[in-house]
Amino acid sequence: MVARFRVLTMKLETFEQIEKEGIMSNSKVVKDVMIGIFEYPHIPYWFSISQAIRIVKVSFLSSKKYPDPMVMLVFDEKYNFIGTLTMKDILKGLEPKIKMSIHEPRPDEEAALSLDWNTFFVNESKELAEKPVSDIMVQAKFFVELNDPVAKAAYLMLRHDLLLLPVLQDKKKFVGLVRMIEIFDEISKGLLSNSDEIK
Amino acid sequence: MELIDREDHQKLYLQLYEILKKKIENTEWTVGSQIPTEEELCKIFNVSRATVRTAVLELVRQGYLKRQQGKGTFIYRNVVSEGLTMLTNFRELLFEEGINFSTDVLARTVMMPIDDLDIKLEISDDKHIIYIKRLRSVDNEPVLLQETYIPHYICPLLLEEDIDHHDLFDLFEEKYGIKITKVKNYIEITYLNADEARLIGLPEGSAVVLLNQYFYSGETLIMYTRSIKRTDRFKFLMELERKVA
Repeated sequence: MVARFRVLTMKLETFEQIEKEGIMSNSKVVKDVMIGIFEYPHIPYWFSISQAIRIVKVSFLSSKKYPDPMVMLVFDEKYNFIGTLTMKDILKGLEPKIKMSIHEPRPDEEAALSLDWNTFFVNESKELAEKPVSDIMVQAKFFVELNDPVAKAAYLMLRHDLLLLPVLQDKKKFVGLVRMIEIFDEISKGLLSNSDEIK
Repeated sequence: MELIDREDHQKLYLQLYEILKKKIENTEWTVGSQIPTEEELCKIFNVSRATVRTAVLELVRQGYLKRQQGKGTFIYRNVVSEGLTMLTNFRELLFEEGINFSTDVLARTVMMPIDDLDIKLEISDDKHIIYIKRLRSVDNEPVLLQETYIPHYICPLLLEEDIDHHDLFDLFEEKYGIKITKVKNYIEITYLNADEARLIGLPEGSAVVLLNQYFYSGETLIMYTRSIKRTDRFKFLMELERKVA
């Protein structure tokens, strides 16, 4: 099992090879495992970071919903999906500039730096929070189609370290999302059934 | 005394709004009298201060109450009785009959409600809304900037329609069978911010007419529209007809 997983994460060059290895069910396609796009909050790129923060609070924190990944979907003015925004992206967007101007801190400098960081976070971040989310989002670069094999989604997500993968219909309409949990579920099903066959 | 029903799916502030409105309409609270303080209303109805504040603000906005700085909140007027309710041909008011617009759709997307949009649309703040921003021009001159907000559940497929060339009103009524039965119009003067000024082609700070419209189908609020109109390009016609008993 370990050997097979290493093959998946490190050695395979194309998703076709994943299928050949028989780790994942050949018949499953993306539309079989994807989730709906309204599982996550939608925001336009011109929303400010502070507006996005309020949406995080309403959609996740106040309602105690903690999906994995905890992400917002960012759209353009024509309702095209253009990227994702996580809490980490937001915090990085609010990060005080002082951190950017210094060298990578040594371990013995971390405590002092955190105090400076705290002061600047409060003072500088209010201004930074008015920046549009387009400045800090992670752009969507990879997509899959409804009838693409799940293996292709798995390959793209692992290869490019993606939190989720948008699913398009006819290369145009954004109709769903594949997350790591769906990929993991499919991989584990394949692995477990292979193990059972060996037994 | 009518109380808040926590089993009811309706938002608490809306329930409180209705209760207080009834007290005014049936003259339990008479014109000129002071209503209980926010704190007292919280205790009476066992709700939060935010709920009370939202309900009272809506009654102020509707003209039922008036706030007086440092004194309190007072009943402002009696509501007209049913027999005096006027009917208006709102279609004419909405579309300024006789004017041929060209329309640029600047944005058509889905988003979460921000600011007070959840209150304006009477939805919870974790529900998606459709947002459409249009700039309307006459003879290539921008005259009207319109932002439309619709709860997504009302018409999930709306953005698949050709809204560049079809009126939302017609799509609602003719394609989706959603009949608009009531419109509340709030007209005021406002001043252009930098972005609005750039789009409408006037200096920042110019005075314009702001028309806020709330569209209902039965008791359900289906759309809120915020329209900014150049004062030099519009005349408002409001044709009223008295209901015959």
